[in-house]
Amino acid sequence: MPEEAMFRSAEMSMIQFYIPAEIGRETLYSLGSLGLVEFRDLNSKVNEFQRSFVGEIRRMDNVEREYRILKNAMDRRSIEMTESFTGKNEISHANIMSTSQLDEACSNAQLLEDRITELSTASEGLLKRQMDLKQYQQVLNSTDSYFDRSYTSDLINLNDANNNDISAEDGDVSRIGNFITGVITRIKVPILEKILWRVLRGNLFMKTTEIPEKMFDPKSKEFVDKDCFVIFSHGELIMSRISKICESLDADLYFVDPDHKNRQNQKVVVNQKLTDVTTVLENTDRTLETELRVVAPELDAWWTAIKLEKSVYEIMNRCYYDMSRKCLIGEGWVPKDDLPRIQASLDEMSTRFSRISNSASGGNSDDSIPIIMNTIETTRTPPTYFKTNKFTQAFQAMCDSYGTATYREVNPGLPTIATFPFIFAIMFGDMGHGFLMFLAALMLVIYEDPISKMKRDEIFDMAYYGRYIVLLMGAFSMYTGFVYNDVYSLSMSLFTSGWKWPLEWKEGDLITSHQTGVYAIGLDPMWHGAENALLFANSYKMKLSVLIGFIHMSYSYMFSLVNALYFHRPVEIIGNFIPGFIFLHAIFGYLSICIVYKWCVDWVAIGKPAPSLLNMLINMFLSPGVIDNQLYPGQATVQVILLLLALICVPCMLLIKPLWFRHTHSEKYISLPNGQGDDHSEGTNSNNLLSNLHLDDSEPVEEQAFGDIMINQVIHTIEFCLNSVSHTASYLRLWALSLAHAQLSSVLWTMTIGASFHFSGIIGIFFIFFMFALWFILTVCILVVMEGTSAMLHALRLHWVESMSKYFEGEGIAYKPYSFATVLHPDQA
Amino acid sequence: MEGLFFNINDGFIEAVVRGYKNGLLSSSQYVNLTQCDTLEDLKLQLSATDYGNFLSNVSGVLSTSIIESKLNDNLVSQFRYLKAQASEPLSTLMDYISYGYMIDNVALMITGTVHERDRSEMLERCHPLGWFDTLPTLSVATDLESLYETVLVDTPLAPYFHDCLSVDDLDDMNIEIIRNTLFKAYLEDFSDFAKTLSSPSDEVMCRFLAFEADKRSINICVNSLNTELTPEDKLKMMPGLGRLSNPAFQHQMVHSDDLEQLKIVVNSVGEYKNFFDESNDKSMEDHFYEYEMTLCKNAFTQQFTYSTIWAFLRSKEQEIRNIAWISECISQNQKDRINNYIAAY
Repeated sequence: MPEEAMFRSAEMSMIQFYIPAEIGRETLYSLGSLGLVEFRDLNSKVNEFQRSFVGEIRRMDNVEREYRILKNAMDRRSIEMTESFTGKNEISHANIMSTSQLDEACSNAQLLEDRITELSTASEGLLKRQMDLKQYQQVLNSTDSYFDRSYTSDLINLNDANNNDISAEDGDVSRIGNFITGVITRIKVPILEKILWRVLRGNLFMKTTEIPEKMFDPKSKEFVDKDCFVIFSHGELIMSRISKICESLDADLYFVDPDHKNRQNQKVVVNQKLTDVTTVLENTDRTLETELRVVAPELDAWWTAIKLEKSVYEIMNRCYYDMSRKCLIGEGWVPKDDLPRIQASLDEMSTRFSRISNSASGGNSDDSIPIIMNTIETTRTPPTYFKTNKFTQAFQAMCDSYGTATYREVNPGLPTIATFPFIFAIMFGDMGHGFLMFLAALMLVIYEDPISKMKRDEIFDMAYYGRYIVLLMGAFSMYTGFVYNDVYSLSMSLFTSGWKWPLEWKEGDLITSHQTGVYAIGLDPMWHGAENALLFANSYKMKLSVLIGFIHMSYSYMFSLVNALYFHRPVEIIGNFIPGFIFLHAIFGYLSICIVYKWCVDWVAIGKPAPSLLNMLINMFLSPGVIDNQLYPGQATVQVILLLLALICVPCMLLIKPLWFRHTHSEKYISLPNGQGDDHSEGTNSNNLLSNLHLDDSEPVEEQAFGDIMINQVIHTIEFCLNSVSHTASYLRLWALSLAHAQLSSVLWTMTIGASFHFSGIIGIFFIFFMFALWFILTVCILVVMEGTSAMLHALRLHWVESMSKYFEGEGIAYKPYSFATVLHPDQA
Repeated sequence: MEGLFFNINDGFIEAVVRGYKNGLLSSSQYVNLTQCDTLEDLKLQLSATDYGNFLSNVSGVLSTSIIESKLNDNLVSQFRYLKAQASEPLSTLMDYISYGYMIDNVALMITGTVHERDRSEMLERCHPLGWFDTLPTLSVATDLESLYETVLVDTPLAPYFHDCLSVDDLDDMNIEIIRNTLFKAYLEDFSDFAKTLSSPSDEVMCRFLAFEADKRSINICVNSLNTELTPEDKLKMMPGLGRLSNPAFQHQMVHSDDLEQLKIVVNSVGEYKNFFDESNDKSMEDHFYEYEMTLCKNAFTQQFTYSTIWAFLRSKEQEIRNIAWISECISQNQKDRINNYIAAY
């Protein structure tokens, strides 16, 4: 039975592939679709551009660039690229492109690019022509309105008569009269005005009209606001300067005939041309659009294929390509359990392609192309790989974000599945709020398939990714809420209460209830509204959080024993685990037992004052042997013994491990010459095909000195002793947050909906209606979302710091297999 | 004390600049670049750096000019981003930085007009950081006074023209004189502004500007050695700041008749000692760049200053020059000179 790889990371093997060069691409394609191999870079000393398959990668880059051009063209015309949802099943070695198909795709892309660029250029040119004519039209129209006014005739007649004759022959048509007309970008109008004013010292008359529609600007290839202008001035030289200035500001100048009749003719001609150009432009655009629409549904699939091809070549670049170019040698990490799957897929590839080559060469069945796969021994540390499913994935990710577990050490992700929602629920205990959270997460879980295909924004994606965490958090909160007997800060009387109020009282009397029994499960609803309710809840929740904290830390600490046993490190058990265990339990274990013991004794019945446990713990250190209020007989002796035990443990923890190391280390120096040292090095491994190539860049072996060990151990000891105090105190946040949550929800209830119950009649109806809305919105926003987030962060901290520091090494390297899923969706990796 | 409040307005910008600075190519990356055989290789190498895929949308054959213009686009967009984030007095400082480019652009436009070059071609060669709206209209007028009155009076450069309006004839020499006079006025103004900045920005900025001024003084004297410029004319162009700005030095410099005399003056300033050293194929310009890069590198050791922006800008420009040099060497197949780049980081 394959291992689940949840409690510990999966066992990894270093694998060497020996792939014939002819089917290298296809083989890697099949491995990529499996997504189980983490390829090692065997050419790390070779520069990126000196590797064997750079040419192919460049070709793919080029095709991608061509696709990007197509995509841009589509975006500009807002044609949607239909995304093909290629499921995982579809990407398999079955639909791998053959080399000829690949070539075809490349040339196809080239053709498309040429065609699209050609059409785009044509359409741009036409657009410019159209813009030109439109502007001309606008200029004609707007000048019409100037010339219709009476004063313009004077301006035109300023011109002396012979000037007209000369300018009629002048090639530059725009300068024919004593006026210049043109079109300029609107933002440049003030600049133009200012400069002209300065140059001509005010001897000009300028008029501008805004063109209502946006005009195409060939420089920036956008549509911008433009203005028509008419400038009247005087004198040939000045006119030429004006036109020069206008041109330098990128204005387009147009010739407008001062004579009304000629102008009408001009208009007709321009309109005619404009219609022609517009028709041609529309045609070109339509062709371009059809072309793009044909491409649109397929582009995504092509793009996917090219991306995969590129990734295959990138992996091939990591492999060693032998001198004769006959075979590719790749190395990589593979989970041990999946070796048969990989072997099967490789076998399939090899038979498939040998069949093809056989049928081509005439059917010699012995002539097969074998792919050789070897497991090789190595001293490298394997990567850490936890197999997850959609339920455990988020929990695992939460632990991994703190640190990747060392290879084969206990996975903190597994216990987290239960403890994280539970510790959260202690702080968030309210049936109502828990229920809301549960429902929200349930929706995400039920509709996970449709939502997974949706485009999600960042925050929603986070909620979606952690939907199972939230689901469990909601469910656990309902349970703790039930124990706290809190539903939106109110209590339920499911069972008969253990307390009875006196039946008669006068207003203003102080009344006391008396106990008649014990409430069946959870907190007695009678506490609700009692004067000492807060006092009781405080004391109860505080002690509860110390107990929970102790239990959480204790079992986390047990994992360090599990790790030490698994890795066969007796010195860890003797030097670290046992002293630490005694230290922790002698102080805080004892405190926890005392808490429970104190609860069990009815202090009122035996008529003794209840001893304060806090003072007891402080006195245990400050004045050993002295007891203020006795908890149980023989307490002084027990406490002194426990204190001594804890104190003895400190030097034990400090010294055993370094001394042991020193002892074994001196032995090692003697044993080395006997020739056992080289046994595990890769040089003698007969399986390793690359061993004689000296490609190997083995990890440097860290030589630990006694000094380092000693310093580390000192730090560890100090940390452990201080942390056992501070971490226990840290669990008091459970109390604080749970109390704050309960108080906040009760305040919200009384301030909003609770107040509205005092009214009756029509007012009452409206009041309750609106107050409910207010209460519900605030409940969801503040109590569920905000408080929930804060409680979640505290729970996260308790796991990362208080629990994981007890056993977690976290020095592993994450396993990053080469898989098509990560190539296509790098963000979901 | 200044450090206490610096981050209120400028902490983000400084962080961004330092991020950009970390993206500058390291010497090992330069070594990788020099090993390239073709520009395609260079593109692949650069894609592994902070530049990322800045060349990936270029179709057709790569050339040095394409790479250089893309690199410049990158620099300009970074500068604009910083400027958009900047508040006073940093935004004024960045304005001052762009005035330098403006002066170059004005000189370029005037030169182009005098030689009757194509306007759009000239505009393309103008530095985008020194762009202003009325820059294209500079091609209209032919004498400085009308230029000043119509166009330049509106630009922030107007006060700097105070000393050079007397120039009547626009030829290459005079344009160069105008340019240097403008730069003198500009550097003096900039340094006055820099002195108003809070410490340590003022200190580091003044150090940069002093070197800038000295560089110009040396250049003026070297380039005018065999011309008919009188010492008085030269003196007018020498900026009044920097280590070489004291009257004794300036007097000696403008009266030097040959390079040797000049060398003696310049060498008397300790840091500038090797500027005329011509071993290892290094020109004076290279020495200037090298010294500037040391200044930049030192400037980055100071925190809470605006000068990091100047230092970054200069370092990035140097980087662009380096990449352009390397790619030029690759495309012209002159591998033996490829190592003449100046890597500082």
